[in-house]
Amino acid sequence: MPIPNQPPSELERLAAILQEAHDVHGVSLWADAWKRLKRNKAAMISLWSLLTIVLLAILTPLLPLQSPIYQDVKNRELLPPQWEGFSLGIKQYDEETARLIAEADLQVAGNAKHKELMTEVEAREQKHPINLYWNDPNFLTKPLISLRLLLFGDFCIPSIFGTDKLGRDVLSRVFWGSRISLACGFIATLVSLMIGVSYGAISGYMGGWVDNLMMRLVDVFYSIPFIFIVIFIMSFLSSPDVREVLQEYHIGQIHVFFLLIGAIYWLTMARVVRGQVISLKNEQFVEAAKTIGATRMQIVFRHLVPNVMGIVIVYLTLTIPAVIRFEAFLSFLGMGVEAPNISWGLLVNEGVQVITIIKTYWWMIAFSGMALATTLFALNFLGDGVRDALDPKLKNK
Amino acid sequence: MQVLTFLLKRFGWMIITVWIVFTVSFFLMRQIPGGPLNGERVLSEAVRARLEARYNLDAPISEQYFTHLWNTVRLDFGPSFKLQDYTVNEILAQGFPVSAALGILGMVFAITIGMTSGVVSAVRRNSAYDYSFMMMATLGIAIPNFVLAAMLIVIFVFNLQMFPAAGWGDLNQIILPAFCLGAPFAGYIARLTRTGMLEVLGNDYIRTAYAKGLSPRTVVMKHGLRGALLPVVSYLGPAIAGILTGSLVLERIFVIPGMGSHFIEAAIQRDYTLAMGALLTYTVLLFGMNTLVDLAYSIIDPRVKLE
Amino acid sequence: MVRILRKYFPVFLLLIAGISVVWAINLGTLPPADFVFNNGTEVKTIDPAKATGVPEGRVINALYEGLLRSVPDGEPDELGRTPTKPKAVAMADSYQVSEDGTVYSFHIRENANWTNGDPVTAEDFAWSWMRFLHPETASEYNYQLFYVKNAQKFASVDLHIGDPVEVEMDDRPVSGQMFPRGTVRRGTLLELIQPDADEEHAEEGGDDGHGGGGISGPALFVVEFPSGDSTEIQVVTTQDPTDQAIQSLVDSYHGEQDLTTITSVQHVLFDFDHVGIKAKSLHDFEVTLNSPTPYFPELAAFYPLHPVHRGSLEKHGDREFTKPGFIVSNGPFVLRERRIRDRLRLVKNEHYWNAESVALNSIDVLAIQSETTSLNMFLNGQLDWDTKPPNTLVPMLRDRDEFVSTPFLAVYFYRINTSKPPLDNPLVRQALNMGIDKKSIVDNIVKGGQVPARSLVPPGMNGHQSSFCGEYNPQEAQRLLAEAGFPNGKGLPTIEILYNTADSHRDIAEVIQQDWKKNLGINVSLRNLEWGTFLDTLRIGDYMVSRSGWIGDYADPNTFLDMWVTDGPNNQTKWSNAFYDEGIERAKYEPDPAKRMEIFQQIEQKLMDEQPIIPIYFYVSLNMVNIRVHGFSANLQDVHPLHLLSLESDGAED
Repeated sequence: MPIPNQPPSELERLAAILQEAHDVHGVSLWADAWKRLKRNKAAMISLWSLLTIVLLAILTPLLPLQSPIYQDVKNRELLPPQWEGFSLGIKQYDEETARLIAEADLQVAGNAKHKELMTEVEAREQKHPINLYWNDPNFLTKPLISLRLLLFGDFCIPSIFGTDKLGRDVLSRVFWGSRISLACGFIATLVSLMIGVSYGAISGYMGGWVDNLMMRLVDVFYSIPFIFIVIFIMSFLSSPDVREVLQEYHIGQIHVFFLLIGAIYWLTMARVVRGQVISLKNEQFVEAAKTIGATRMQIVFRHLVPNVMGIVIVYLTLTIPAVIRFEAFLSFLGMGVEAPNISWGLLVNEGVQVITIIKTYWWMIAFSGMALATTLFALNFLGDGVRDALDPKLKNK
Repeated sequence: MQVLTFLLKRFGWMIITVWIVFTVSFFLMRQIPGGPLNGERVLSEAVRARLEARYNLDAPISEQYFTHLWNTVRLDFGPSFKLQDYTVNEILAQGFPVSAALGILGMVFAITIGMTSGVVSAVRRNSAYDYSFMMMATLGIAIPNFVLAAMLIVIFVFNLQMFPAAGWGDLNQIILPAFCLGAPFAGYIARLTRTGMLEVLGNDYIRTAYAKGLSPRTVVMKHGLRGALLPVVSYLGPAIAGILTGSLVLERIFVIPGMGSHFIEAAIQRDYTLAMGALLTYTVLLFGMNTLVDLAYSIIDPRVKLE
Repeated sequence: MVRILRKYFPVFLLLIAGISVVWAINLGTLPPADFVFNNGTEVKTIDPAKATGVPEGRVINALYEGLLRSVPDGEPDELGRTPTKPKAVAMADSYQVSEDGTVYSFHIRENANWTNGDPVTAEDFAWSWMRFLHPETASEYNYQLFYVKNAQKFASVDLHIGDPVEVEMDDRPVSGQMFPRGTVRRGTLLELIQPDADEEHAEEGGDDGHGGGGISGPALFVVEFPSGDSTEIQVVTTQDPTDQAIQSLVDSYHGEQDLTTITSVQHVLFDFDHVGIKAKSLHDFEVTLNSPTPYFPELAAFYPLHPVHRGSLEKHGDREFTKPGFIVSNGPFVLRERRIRDRLRLVKNEHYWNAESVALNSIDVLAIQSETTSLNMFLNGQLDWDTKPPNTLVPMLRDRDEFVSTPFLAVYFYRINTSKPPLDNPLVRQALNMGIDKKSIVDNIVKGGQVPARSLVPPGMNGHQSSFCGEYNPQEAQRLLAEAGFPNGKGLPTIEILYNTADSHRDIAEVIQQDWKKNLGINVSLRNLEWGTFLDTLRIGDYMVSRSGWIGDYADPNTFLDMWVTDGPNNQTKWSNAFYDEGIERAKYEPDPAKRMEIFQQIEQKLMDEQPIIPIYFYVSLNMVNIRVHGFSANLQDVHPLHLLSLESDGAED
């Protein structure tokens, strides 16, 4: 049977339809949400301030700050905020060393005087102030610190936030503290995200007794007072055998600390994701995926999980503050990060301790507290904004 | 009947939960360095051996486990290691009512302040009330409660001299800690109430209610509030866990002789028996509260089935 | 039903809230006390025999009274410190010491009474000290009585063939309760049957004075009891006779005793009748010591040796007898009420022999751990005596009239683990010591007027001349380090400072970290552990340098020095020195006080030269005391007996 010859007009019509389809750009859910978010002023301010805070935290080693750990108990103890300048004194130190080297070069190599000078030069290298100012910088912060010295030299921002009881600069401590607190918030939340999302998605998709069992387990976990377990595990980690193993793999206590907090905060995430997955799993796109032979794991992680990301992001903005607060709470109990690491929780706790009727060193609490509160505040508003933006009900309001 | 089977099932799960918590912490406690008999001065071997025998610490670990488990089943937690004049049961019996009073009062603060400001914010949406209440709510969430406590002490204890600095015994002494405990939850509840009510107030049946000529007050209180109640109640579960953690801190700051101080001290000092007693009490409490919340949820919302 | 619930749910919520508020208000309130002070922490126990620690001491000294009492007495020294002396102003109204200094005879005052009206007798002391030493009591402080003849044998079950023994039969009237004891039979130990490995046991007797010895594991005792005119021989064991270990002992036995009947008993102990503790008559109590112990009167006033009331203890049991309502005590105050981690309410004891001179009618002993809170309460008028104001604020408190502070018998120091290279080198240890600016720590961190320490024994101790270690001297420290082979700290591994969780310890460690880095070029890391783990880590020696502190139990150098003997339980530095060990032993038997002090000076010099420890500073007592309180004196041991305090007349009395 011959193929019916289609009239050209019909072809043209189809081509036009195709062309039209090309011209209309589908607006994705995300683009739509982003557009709505942009209209929300509070959320946008929060977003920008958060980005600024994170950026500042990352670039802290690069900023012309004083040392966060260098103490001067004799002269700078508990100074109120001030504008008096402060110099690192590295330049002078280096000049002095250079002078010694020059002097040594004038001597005949190998004679007693030369030797003596060279030992002193060596001693000076060993005791270089850089080693006092930054505690064991790692491969990421080291180049930044070098760059900072190159750019700003000895210049430091004065102690405009005052100094603490060991004479350390509060401003730089707040900045360095932000690194740990934010890292704690983000890493721990990421851990909780991974556990929670996979747990919830699997439970929701499998359904039946698997779901039942997994959710009852979550109920069980909900009833465990985790603070207690944290205390125990932190002690367990400090026992000699465990410590040795950890050191072998270069895992610090602080890393385990992050993971541990993350491992506690996944429960609600799992519940939320499960609920979403249950409502989605009978949708057509899942059926479609099934018919083309996708495995269960593929369906869960490739098709379902991306579709619950909205609610997950909203929940993330709630988990991060909770985690940061939990870290502060542990610091209050003396079980948070360890010196010389600094976190906001630690700083706030130090501040709280000097509030008495006799004298209130307000700068010890005000600035760290403000940094903590601003971050949590911004995260909350941003969370609200994202939820509103993703909620289709509010779409046209 | 349905409620009964639900409760029975939950009870079964609670037993399992308690058993898991018991087993894990029993072995974890004995794994970690330090023991209840360690003090600043080192004990002579003879004394140590005698004390270990007294507390049955010299028995094989499996035997210790089963003895302890059996005693726990009989609700006998044994003597405390570090508060030697008391049994764990006596300590818990003294500490629990104190913590419970503090927790309940904190929760009452949270619910009353939170819901009131939430309702006002929702009804007067985008007014100055709304903005300032929501600002305060977010602030309450954002400030750690020990910072809040420090600030309130400066204001109310030192400057206004309205309350004593710390201690336990009369109403004056309970107000500040209960308020600090409730504040972050009040913040959350205020926001949940506001959102919940806005959602309900936008519904068609509210418009119908207005059309029927009902007064705005009735509409808001009868229909709006009910809608707002659901998210609040479902939030109570996590809130109770949070109240628990919060009370650990506030009991310390305000010197309140509740369970929280026992809990932390026992864990740090390796008081095995007291730590176990406090841990299991908290576990049962949390489980019970979560069950109650589920129950309450199904009572308020007929659509929710107990499972 | 459900529908009703649903309808009135909010009402129910409010109802629950209301009820709980009412309940919370109705939680019992006590009337305010005359005098309120913060004891720093909850006391572990108020049973003298089981207590250790300063807070416990304060309470027990108020509730109970020993033979003597350490009271501030005499003229203040140049620092304004009143010396404390053990005096017979307690249960004993006088005491004599024999010529050779080994026999103490105490006369118990006739008007000494228990709170229930019973008289306090010499027998009460003998029985209480027996209980204190009894192995089943397992008192941590029992070594304090090991100066008494045969006391250590009794306490450590250190038995040898031919020793007089007492056997407590398996017939205790109240099972599971130590007192009243079962029938006690006295006899002689004929034979001791133990697994072979314990052959060398006999040589271990009379060891370091901190326990040891003792019989552990399965053992059979062959005991000869006098029975009428003849004797009776019994084979007894404290274990279950059917136990596998006992059976195998029986099977492998080749001696001449008949082991067919083995009696199970509670205890086989050295006969307490042969221990140097005797009630000579109703009011005469005699103690015989191994060697002259010049500070024995201090011990006689030490709170673990206070007597307890036998009748109430036997009636209510070992734990319950301390409860308010049951407790029978003999001190100036009685326990009225006790709320855990809140307060102890003490009221005046009308039966006290010196009741008319006790001024305070009621005392509240609080257990506040937070220093800031405690100070806040003091400043707010809720406390009359704050025992621990925070260091940061001390400079601002110093000028106030309420501030009472003076150096006392306690030292803050760093232990060095001498088994960890390079710390096994004394030169390195000396360099570390000289590299710490202790004065700066005292002036800028602790700030309470503490004294930088260059010796271990605090100054002002009964005629002891301190020996010193090096002063702060970075150049000399560098030279020593170079001499040890680490010029400018080159080649030294990172040194780790261990401390337990507390801000002041962390601050000091951070300062020392910077000092060592700046002065010596040494990299230092910090390790913070919470208390339980900290103690264990110290005990097993998993540290390099560790923060420590020690408070003298009595005013004699021995309390600071005897812990550094080889393998002493509190040594923990792995340091061992034969000259030192021998010196401690010699001092025990030296009757001449001057010579004894000379020995202490020599061995302290050894300790300071070898430097297994770095003394940092001597503590000062820091007290905030309400100015309406009288009778509060700054003294060397920081003891402030509550019964000597009084309030200005316009206080709470009217």
